[in-house]
Amino acid sequence: MSENINLTLKIWRQKGPNDKGHLETHEARDISTDMSFLEMLDVVNEQLTVEGKDPVSFDHDCREGICGMCGTVINGLAHGPERGTTLCQLHMRHFKDGDTIVIEPWRARPFRIIKDLVVDRSSFDEIIQAGGYVSVNTGQAPEANSIPVPPEWAELAMDAAACIGCGACVAACPNASAMLFVGAKISQLALLPQGKPEAAKRALSMLRKMDELDFGNCSNETECEAVCPKEISITNIARFNREFLVASFGSSEK
Amino acid sequence: MNWLINTLGSSIGKKLLMAITGLGFIGFLAVHLIGNLTLYGGQDLFTSYVEHLHALGPLIILAELGLLSFAIIHIVIGTLLFYENLMARPVRYRVKKNAGGRTIGSATQPYTGFIILAFLILHLLNFHFAEHTNKSLYQLISSAFANPLYVGVYVIAMIVVAIHVSHGFWSLFQTLGANHPKYMPLIQKLGIAVSLMFGIGFGFVPIFISFIA
Amino acid sequence: MQLDARIPGGPLAEKWDRHRFELKLVNPANKRKFEIIVVGTGLAGASASATLAELGYNVKTFCLQDSPRRAHSIAAQGGINAAKNYPGDGDSIWRLFYDTIKGGDFRAREANVYRLAQISNNIIDQCVAQGVPFAREYGGLLANRSFGGAQVERTFYARGQTGQQLLLGAYSALMRQVAAGKVKVYPRREMMDLVLVDGSARGIVVRNLITGEMESHAAHAVILATGGYGNAYFLSTMAMSSNVSAIWRAHKKGAYFSHPSFVQIHPTCIPVHGTYQSKLTLMSESLRNDGRVWVPDRAGDKRSPNDIPESERDYLLERKYPSFGNLVPRDVASRSAKEVCDQGKGIGPTGFAIYLDFKDAIERDGIDVIRKKYGNLFQMYERITGEDPYKTPMMIYPAIHYTMGGLWVDYNLMSTIPGLFVLGEANFSDHGSNRLGASALMQGLSDGYFVIPYTIGGYLAGTVLPEVDEAHPSFEDSIKLMNEGIAKLLSIKGSRTVDDFHRELGHILWEYGGMSRNESGMLKAKELILGLREQFWENVMVSGSPGEFNQTLERAGRVADFLEFAELLIEDGMSREESCGCHFNEAFQTEDHEALRNDDSCCYVAAWEFNGPGKAPTLHKEPLVFENVELAQRSYK
Repeated sequence: MSENINLTLKIWRQKGPNDKGHLETHEARDISTDMSFLEMLDVVNEQLTVEGKDPVSFDHDCREGICGMCGTVINGLAHGPERGTTLCQLHMRHFKDGDTIVIEPWRARPFRIIKDLVVDRSSFDEIIQAGGYVSVNTGQAPEANSIPVPPEWAELAMDAAACIGCGACVAACPNASAMLFVGAKISQLALLPQGKPEAAKRALSMLRKMDELDFGNCSNETECEAVCPKEISITNIARFNREFLVASFGSSEK
Repeated sequence: MNWLINTLGSSIGKKLLMAITGLGFIGFLAVHLIGNLTLYGGQDLFTSYVEHLHALGPLIILAELGLLSFAIIHIVIGTLLFYENLMARPVRYRVKKNAGGRTIGSATQPYTGFIILAFLILHLLNFHFAEHTNKSLYQLISSAFANPLYVGVYVIAMIVVAIHVSHGFWSLFQTLGANHPKYMPLIQKLGIAVSLMFGIGFGFVPIFISFIA
Repeated sequence: MQLDARIPGGPLAEKWDRHRFELKLVNPANKRKFEIIVVGTGLAGASASATLAELGYNVKTFCLQDSPRRAHSIAAQGGINAAKNYPGDGDSIWRLFYDTIKGGDFRAREANVYRLAQISNNIIDQCVAQGVPFAREYGGLLANRSFGGAQVERTFYARGQTGQQLLLGAYSALMRQVAAGKVKVYPRREMMDLVLVDGSARGIVVRNLITGEMESHAAHAVILATGGYGNAYFLSTMAMSSNVSAIWRAHKKGAYFSHPSFVQIHPTCIPVHGTYQSKLTLMSESLRNDGRVWVPDRAGDKRSPNDIPESERDYLLERKYPSFGNLVPRDVASRSAKEVCDQGKGIGPTGFAIYLDFKDAIERDGIDVIRKKYGNLFQMYERITGEDPYKTPMMIYPAIHYTMGGLWVDYNLMSTIPGLFVLGEANFSDHGSNRLGASALMQGLSDGYFVIPYTIGGYLAGTVLPEVDEAHPSFEDSIKLMNEGIAKLLSIKGSRTVDDFHRELGHILWEYGGMSRNESGMLKAKELILGLREQFWENVMVSGSPGEFNQTLERAGRVADFLEFAELLIEDGMSREESCGCHFNEAFQTEDHEALRNDDSCCYVAAWEFNGPGKAPTLHKEPLVFENVELAQRSYK
């Protein structure tokens, strides 16, 4: 049943990329436990606005856990304490009256802070540009059922394709590595016959782009899998490793 | 050969080198452990094992060179990875919690690595590069472990090795791409078994020598 | 101005082929000389950008979010229709066409809808080739399901994330063209104004949401694919940034707006729980395939659902519509829900909810089958409400979901402004007064992948366009005007927040312009909107400065537009003297309280012309001619 709680928030405030930034304390009063975390922040922002202060900037859009726009680190955990949940789907019933909540932005070298909790994730787009697609122009496609896909592969591909590109994997990785994000895309396309012709080129090129963007190196800490709101498995990273090995040593791609 | 440098210089490539050299060390440690087991059989058995080993001659030198190059790769790349990973997050979190993926082994991997390096140097100075002409290896060992400080250092070092291997073992399979829902749980259990085996097998030697033998 | 829909002649089935032949072509070598602007990166925008770039045009693509992959098409759950007839259950292009026309209650153009049905099959081919992981049968071939009132299985799906997978497919095609240097993506930009030169659309002014700077972008043609305006109602299933601003500002520059009052209310959403609720979450309509809708027989029955015996339950949809049962179209299901709640039979703390029960389905198919089909939806429900739908029935209530209305476009998807094309939900074209399930994805991709690439070529090849660049004075004029508007918003420094105004506007629209409308209510709504708009411009509090990342300012601009647009929405509702599809005017209903169309005087497309602020808009009527289908009263009994 719903009840109202009071919380102390310590929120990262930073005016712009070059500002140093600091944790600022805000009180959140009379928060219904039915609210989502972002609705709780809305309430805080309404209060700040009425007081003539600068509201907290945070990214969000669909608020149903699929666009991948939202995400902050809550008390040291990306997207907060609930497994398989984006921040917008995290509800306040998971917090207790009197709790102190520390809210910090995703932190990684490629994720420059724009303002407060808002970070730049354009590096993810750049990685996809490096090969996260099947090269097929509109109109070139053959009849859909001429490409049968065993349902087991389709399911595994779908597991990987469920990635929402939120960046929690990078944020949670002790090394700020993007291997789960890249591994998921590589896996999706490697599992499907449509992705096969370009598999080798894709694996090499996406990995190079990822390295070039200064993400860290994977050391199999598996924190990414633990925080992923879509619970994408690290078997996708293993598949990426495999694809990379095959591409490097077994194909003519350089 | 440019492609090979590109491949091995990439993030997965570096991990691959760590995995392969790590696998080499696990193999070496297994052989080393089997050898050490002869210590439990007393001086004669151990000495005959050492003599047999030395009789291999050039093969030994070759193996030592191999180990040395593996060590250099593992240490240099490991240090580089450690540095790069630190650099990938220039501003740290004020509060950071374990979401459930990290283990003691994975969280301490670089640090246990550096401790093992320090131990390795000590270990080689103690036994490998020590003066062998007057004393047999067995005598060297038993005199070293007469000192309780040495016993302590060795036991702790072996615990550290076990922790390092506990992450390294399954991790190398993951890096080589061998993660399958059917086999991975087995590999992970095997990793724990191997690290326990190393920890107990090696760690018990100094205790045996100093207190029992 | 006389509206000309430019519908090609000839038999229905040949119109599109014939039109494609008649359209002028741009020489392959000349395509690179044309710049095209695309605003929005949902299914329509991303697919159009990618395809135009593949053809050789230079494309500039804009989106509000930090990445094109975030557009709200991503949230579509259920699936996408196509007339493949793989299950062999009697489907055909003609049947898909007919179902869509009928589902839209005969308020869409035959030619457009037929083309949509024709193209549907190409879309599936294209998406499969891109690597969209559609559900498969054991043999590896594509699986279909029946969806949202269709009596054939024609819906292709990727779990409950079909929209996501299709969007990521289009996004990947877009990223490929970015890598090829043919598309430049401008994320975190909001379109502020459409720039016309000599009456044609020649560019846009956008605000860089990070720096606050205004930027000019010139082009030979502008495509708007900016989605629907459901957020006018504050609470909806739309994303928080979904807005009417882009099409509204184009409307103010001369593009006619069609059917703003045709707003779809989706029956299966999670009910409202509190004041600070920011959005409503949709539960896929596919749930109605196995879930049974019911309320207690007796008003005010507060027993827990599992304590209410079968004999005291009213399975309202099965009772009222024996042949379609729980699968009646969205508008019918939504109104039925409202009807029983108005009778006091609603359940839950607010009384504005009905049950969707899976008990029988679980008993029939076993919990594993149900989990496989709906596992992620059940999980989502539990996450939001804290209740387990495997044990207690779900509570659902209708919510604003999709807007059939949008800018008027002709058969070429061009608005009344030459060179301004409008795709996807942002146009009014294919769904009439009610959209069928799994048709939105189909339309967005049809417009973007397969229609605009042909029709824009016809426009560019057939029009003489003078050279215009960003230095043209029209851009500067527009920027000046836009900056003034922003300065004004920031100068008010009142005492009410933007969201507060938005919430109140939402209440007005939901109350008087929602599922059921009447003359006096709509008149009242007009008055209330006018008053609220005045208050907004006197008393809104927008903090911060224009030259920075300022989310409050972004929202203020959008709400200001909603406050203007809402009046047109009501005006359109009042002008239509009938009930049709989602537009239910209480004065026009059958004895069974079903929508009663007035085909004699209302068989037209309403297209509103903007006459300046404070002036009444002019209604233009494009007659709808039905040569191939008979206008029947919809019946789902």
